[in-house]
Amino acid sequence: MENIQDYIESGILEQYALGELSVAEQAAVEAQAASHSEIREELQQVQETLGFYAEAHVVTPPAGMRERVLTNVLAQIAAPTPSSALRADVDAVAQANHRPAPTETVVRSIGSATAPAPAARSVWAMAASVALILSLAGNALFYSRWQNASTELVAMQNDQARFAQTSQVVERQLGDLRQENEVLRNDEFKAVALAGTKTAPSARARVLFNAVTHKVYVDVRSLPALPAGKQYQLWALDKGKPVDAGVLTAATAIGEGIQHMKDIASAQTFAMTIEPAGGSVNPTLSTMTVVGNI
Amino acid sequence: MMPIRSHHLFSVTPVSDTSLISLPPAAEADLVRRLQARDESAMTMFYDRYSAALYGVIFRIVKAEEEAEDVLQEALVKIWNAFATYDPSKGRLFTWVLNICRNLSIDRIRSRQHRVGSRTQGLDDSLTAQRQAAPTAFRPEHIGLQEITQKLIPEQRRIIDLLYFEGFTQSEVAEELNIPLGTVKTRARTAIKVLSKLIR
Repeated sequence: MENIQDYIESGILEQYALGELSVAEQAAVEAQAASHSEIREELQQVQETLGFYAEAHVVTPPAGMRERVLTNVLAQIAAPTPSSALRADVDAVAQANHRPAPTETVVRSIGSATAPAPAARSVWAMAASVALILSLAGNALFYSRWQNASTELVAMQNDQARFAQTSQVVERQLGDLRQENEVLRNDEFKAVALAGTKTAPSARARVLFNAVTHKVYVDVRSLPALPAGKQYQLWALDKGKPVDAGVLTAATAIGEGIQHMKDIASAQTFAMTIEPAGGSVNPTLSTMTVVGNI
Repeated sequence: MMPIRSHHLFSVTPVSDTSLISLPPAAEADLVRRLQARDESAMTMFYDRYSAALYGVIFRIVKAEEEAEDVLQEALVKIWNAFATYDPSKGRLFTWVLNICRNLSIDRIRSRQHRVGSRTQGLDDSLTAQRQAAPTAFRPEHIGLQEITQKLIPEQRRIIDLLYFEGFTQSEVAEELNIPLGTVKTRARTAIKVLSKLIR
């Protein structure tokens, strides 16, 4: 493989994960993944990410679907070889019901030798039958309770996983806020107020610039809504020359939180323009929305 | 200057496993063993664990409750019958079953389109009609989805949805959105990168 990074960047792993490739192409990707750990890891990551995307769209199925689907599925898959646990139980019950007959013949054959009272024998047989019936009924009851319990357990495990996920997300959001707080309280950061230009007089944003570490954060107060396919891009002006400081995520642009931008070595002015999604190499000056000097 | 585009620093905090459907590896291995051993009762457990996620994906693609249920049932039987072909070394169980469900669902809508439209033009029309009816029809109150909506820009989300839920190929997306194929590839990759930061 001439260049693993090029292979990864080509987008073929995404196509593989999305099921776009022919069987031969799939086999080729699998061969690459088998011999290059970077490709294998990247592919795994893409697949897990798409799985996560799917999971996020979880839908509560309509009422009664579980019973309908499971019954049909179990009936279809059980057809050729009857071996399900339930079936085995039914068989056991059927066998158990037939058992008294042979037992009786055995008893009779012994009985013919020792000749015990027939009345006593039938009392014992009745008692045994009653015991057996009670035992079977008990088993059936326990079996159904056990099934219910295991279903409830799975449901509870699902709930637990969901809570765990929610608390992880909350924890992460808390971590984000902590970090934001650290930046905001750090004296090394200088707040640069960016005011709206003629095109958007009410727009407001701040840049937090650390001249020592060159770190740049952006904090949006209010920006006009973006047209489709556009993104806000931050620029640092160093001696009049614009330097790309990165594009704002959708969340940042609506003021959800502060965003870490690209490091800037030196700047006197910061400004934001509206650029095609992904950002531009040079700013489109006519779309400058906010600007401010340090 | 840093080499690549800006990134959201605050999303990088590592999270062990936000996955709510995927079982812990040991439990998954156990379920796989039971299914390989043709233990039918394992299908009930499989159903309880995965059906909501699988149904969600199928429903997103076929966009009709009854048909989604039908596809889910077909998929479960297929998963059972084809289980010998599942190779755990190639990926997680959830990935494999998800692909089966997606493929069946996409086959379903493609065959429906063949019935509806005569040639490509008609086919495109029916696709557009379906797509407009669908996306915001329901909103599962799930924190993961809120995060996705916040982190992806609308264009990225649209591309992922077309690729994932509409069964479009990357070339079809390029044609549909009237943008170069290269842009589709870049945006899809970027979107997946953004999403992957949410889970690790």
